[in-house]
Amino acid sequence: MKNRTVMIKNYFKTAFRNLIYNKGYAFINIAGLAVGIAVCILIFIIIQFQTSFDGFHAKKDRIYRVLSESHRADAGGISYEKNVPFLLPDGLKTAFPQLEQVVPIYASHNDELQILDDNGTPVKNFKEQNGVFYTSPTFFNVFDFPLLSGTYESLKDPNNVLLTKEIAETYFGDWKSAVGKTIKITGYYSMGAGLFQFPATPLKVSGILATIPPSTDFQLKLVIAYGTNFTGDKQYGFQQPNWNQSTPDFGCYVLLPPNISADNFNQQLKGYASKLQSVNQKGSYILQSINAVHHDAQTGNYSSKTISKELINVLWLIATFILLIACVNFINLSTAQAVNRAKEVGVRKVLGSNLLQLQTQFLVETFLVVVSAVVLSILITVLALPYANQLLELSLSFNTFSNPAIILFIFAITIIVTALAGFYPSIVLSRLNPVNTLKSKLKASTTKGVSLRRGLVVFQFVIAQVLIIGTFVILEQMDYFMNQPLGFDKNAIVNIPYRPDSTGNNLTDYLKQKLLLNGVQAVSFNSNSPIEENNNTFTKFKFDHAIKDADFQAITKFVDDDYVPTYKLQLVAGKNLKPSPFTQEFLVNESLVKSLGIKNLEDILNKEISIMGGLIKCPVVGVVKDFNDRSLHHGLAPLLMATNSTMYRQASIKLPTVNIASTMQTIQKIWEQTFPNYVYEYRFLDEKIANFYNQESQLAQLYKICAIIAIFLSCLGLYGLASFMAIQRIKEVGIRKVLGASIANIVYLFSKEFIILISIAFLIATPLASYFMNQWLQNYAYQVTIEWWVFASAGFIALLIALLTVSFQAVKAAVANPVKSLRTE
Amino acid sequence: MLLNLKNIYKWYNVGGNRTFILKDINFEVQEGEFISIMGPSGSGKSTLLNIIGMLDEPNEGTYNFLHENVFKLKEKQRAQLYKQYIGFVFQQYHLIDELTVYENIETPLIYQDVKTSERKALVADMLDRFNIVGKKDLFPNQLSGGQQQLVGIARALIAKPKLILADEPTGNLNSKQGEEIMQLFKQLNTEGVTIIQVTHSEKNAAYSSHIVNLLDGVIKR
Ligand SMILES: Nc1ncnc2c1ncn2[C@@H]1O[C@H](COP(=O)(O)OP(=O)(O)OP(=O)(O)O)[C@@H](O)[C@H]1O
Ligand SMILES: [Mg+2]
Repeated sequence: MKNRTVMIKNYFKTAFRNLIYNKGYAFINIAGLAVGIAVCILIFIIIQFQTSFDGFHAKKDRIYRVLSESHRADAGGISYEKNVPFLLPDGLKTAFPQLEQVVPIYASHNDELQILDDNGTPVKNFKEQNGVFYTSPTFFNVFDFPLLSGTYESLKDPNNVLLTKEIAETYFGDWKSAVGKTIKITGYYSMGAGLFQFPATPLKVSGILATIPPSTDFQLKLVIAYGTNFTGDKQYGFQQPNWNQSTPDFGCYVLLPPNISADNFNQQLKGYASKLQSVNQKGSYILQSINAVHHDAQTGNYSSKTISKELINVLWLIATFILLIACVNFINLSTAQAVNRAKEVGVRKVLGSNLLQLQTQFLVETFLVVVSAVVLSILITVLALPYANQLLELSLSFNTFSNPAIILFIFAITIIVTALAGFYPSIVLSRLNPVNTLKSKLKASTTKGVSLRRGLVVFQFVIAQVLIIGTFVILEQMDYFMNQPLGFDKNAIVNIPYRPDSTGNNLTDYLKQKLLLNGVQAVSFNSNSPIEENNNTFTKFKFDHAIKDADFQAITKFVDDDYVPTYKLQLVAGKNLKPSPFTQEFLVNESLVKSLGIKNLEDILNKEISIMGGLIKCPVVGVVKDFNDRSLHHGLAPLLMATNSTMYRQASIKLPTVNIASTMQTIQKIWEQTFPNYVYEYRFLDEKIANFYNQESQLAQLYKICAIIAIFLSCLGLYGLASFMAIQRIKEVGIRKVLGASIANIVYLFSKEFIILISIAFLIATPLASYFMNQWLQNYAYQVTIEWWVFASAGFIALLIALLTVSFQAVKAAVANPVKSLRTE
Repeated sequence: MLLNLKNIYKWYNVGGNRTFILKDINFEVQEGEFISIMGPSGSGKSTLLNIIGMLDEPNEGTYNFLHENVFKLKEKQRAQLYKQYIGFVFQQYHLIDELTVYENIETPLIYQDVKTSERKALVADMLDRFNIVGKKDLFPNQLSGGQQQLVGIARALIAKPKLILADEPTGNLNSKQGEEIMQLFKQLNTEGVTIIQVTHSEKNAAYSSHIVNLLDGVIKR
């Protein structure tokens, strides 16, 4: 027993001395592994966060989102959306009394909030782009969002509101004093194609919610009682019975009882839907498990942040590969070093050490290296996390106390890496033949290791080059997104939120005149911009007195007659809309004409289109050339445009080419004078468009970083190998120099092999990367073609960096004084 | 004058003491000379030859080669000299272990950008002259010491150097082989090649035009 502890002590002692003795290699090994492990830990933290969304609700296994399943021409078959008809929750409740809970929820956007003091005079204005939800107390029976004060039940009464602690503090300074206070809310909601304002409504703060954790797609700020405003209004609001249209931003969640499975309930839902639908409807409803919501990029969610399962898999893959690259470095360096260790092994064997003891010895050494690397990697992780957070717009933390999974993960990594990196070298080293090793004739036995080492170097560079190519392709696609002509003018156009009043065109005409006097080039009032990401309202319509709706839906925009000139849209048939506060005429795009099966653009002119259940019926007066009315993730969709001054929500202002700053100041002054009760905001159109591709640009950053790390690690390995080679071949270098070799000759001697290896890696990486990246590009309606130069430059970069790394050692070897190496042994 | 060494000192610090290997060496070589350096083992012959061959630097003194200060030569110029001027035969042969006999002999020609066909002819000629055609595909560790020495000499001569520096070129050869090598050297010398060799053998020294005796790092006349 005592003997064993001595032995183990001895293992660690020798291992430690060996590391100290080979400081250089130990450093390369530890640094490389640490970087690789740090990448793994970071990706683990990111994935852990991304897969934990809405996982903290106690009943999470029984919570489902109801999706509308519909058949839309442009989506090619079945498509799903998170919006459901307003009456669906009540309908479900009556039809399926077995449902434990049915939660209606409406996500409001761009609400204006006014803080009133005790006398009812306005004190402060705020604007919330999102985070304002209308829902019933049942929401809190399903989802776990603790209250700090007040009751969930207060949401049974209209005009009550729960605030989160943070919002209460922003609005009132101190959340405790917020309870009982009054906030006035102004906003709008859309029904069908229309945008409707609701009158300023006072809300009473009836409770305070605890801080909302980041890992939920319900980023609540204000939770307003269901039944307030348009959610309760039977005449103008959502309560109008209208089963055919799903209500924008309105969703439904259910809590299944434990004894009913989702599949089972989906069957019942289908039957229920088919009884409801009118003749021309083929839609249905389907349940989606809450844990799938965050990964469903297609339907989206209330946080507008999703991460697809594929991307998570890609992240895992990258993490694994980077770790493998780091392990490969270790394996390569250790087996290369076998030559130096040969004597030690020989002596130990002659002294009676057996294979197992030798292997243990080397594994202990590996373990020491890995443990040091893990410690360093934790440091790297902690330092890098803020940057990762900034890049990915997250607020992750490395907290081992509250997150035991991380400790487990790090522990597992330590074991796995020790095994991966240590196993093979320990076998190679322990198998060294004592007779050969003592005579130090290692030529024959090391050549086997050489071919494996070559294979591993190729493997490293395949990964590095795939990542480089991937980065280039994503960047190319981004570049395409940014610079592709969209069919309208997006430069120097600023959009400013606008609130219509009841004076028809008076307010818009007044503002237009004021703005034009102050030097802006053009002004248009409209419901939204030519291109939108999530803000498009699709509407059903009837064409030319048809009985049935057309079999596709069209995007509707309400725009004034200045929209066409401001955005430089091109009319290809008919004429522009005439100025009017009401809806009297339609403009359509070419795509709509084509989708209707009409060959000649002129033929659609003066035909009638009817929307909103016949509420609006007008003739088509013109056709605009197709422009991208949706982000380039999608193809362009059929489009209807009409005037209607109550639907305008923004002013689009084309700025002059000079004095932009002072013009912006003037605009702000005009706005603050005209709308004293609202927060002034502005947004440049090109910035808004760039924002559509935020996910892609984050992905590009991520790839870039991973590619850099992969290249760095691979080169670290090469550096070690080359320095090792330099020592090994120092005598040969000396001889060659005396035979007349120049420095260039020597560098070539060293680089030749690596050039071949990297070329092989290139040949493997190219088809691999082109396959994967073409898969990725399939996600987009508009794709770049991957040009040859992408591959060429990836190969070139890898080669160049590798050669620089190797040459550094090679030059060092080449300029060394030959006599030192040729001196008698 | 081909080269001259002035006041050359070479020492090592062993255990805090300076051990002199070469002391105040003054030495001049004219083009076309055939010089033998002789002396007991450890007297500094190899060290001197290494300095002449620019493999080593003295601690003191000046060394001019073709009127150029050797210590100020650039790496490139030195490589150029090895390529075009100097052929080196090492006492320990110093063949490249990874290359075959054929490739070892061929290497200097590669560095001189000699065309492949010409290279073939030259190497074949050398193999033939040294009677090692049958060994051309063997690696150095498959050769006897004497054979390795022959390859080393062949390699030094193949590029037709104008100066041959040979450290015990016949140390591992039998007397007949040794004689043949000396004949070859003599003939090259009459063709104008300058030769400096280190040797223990009086017989070999007899081929040279001039003998330098080295004793404890000092030249004795
Ligand atoms: N690095 C060194 N440190 C200390 N002494 C050295 C070193 N290298 C050579 N010497 C000494 O220099 C002396 C001269 O060596 P050198 O090789 O020139 O002798 P040599 O005359 O060629 O002998 P031989 O006939 O045996 O080849 C020797 O005594 C040797 O011990
Ligand atoms: Mg000697």
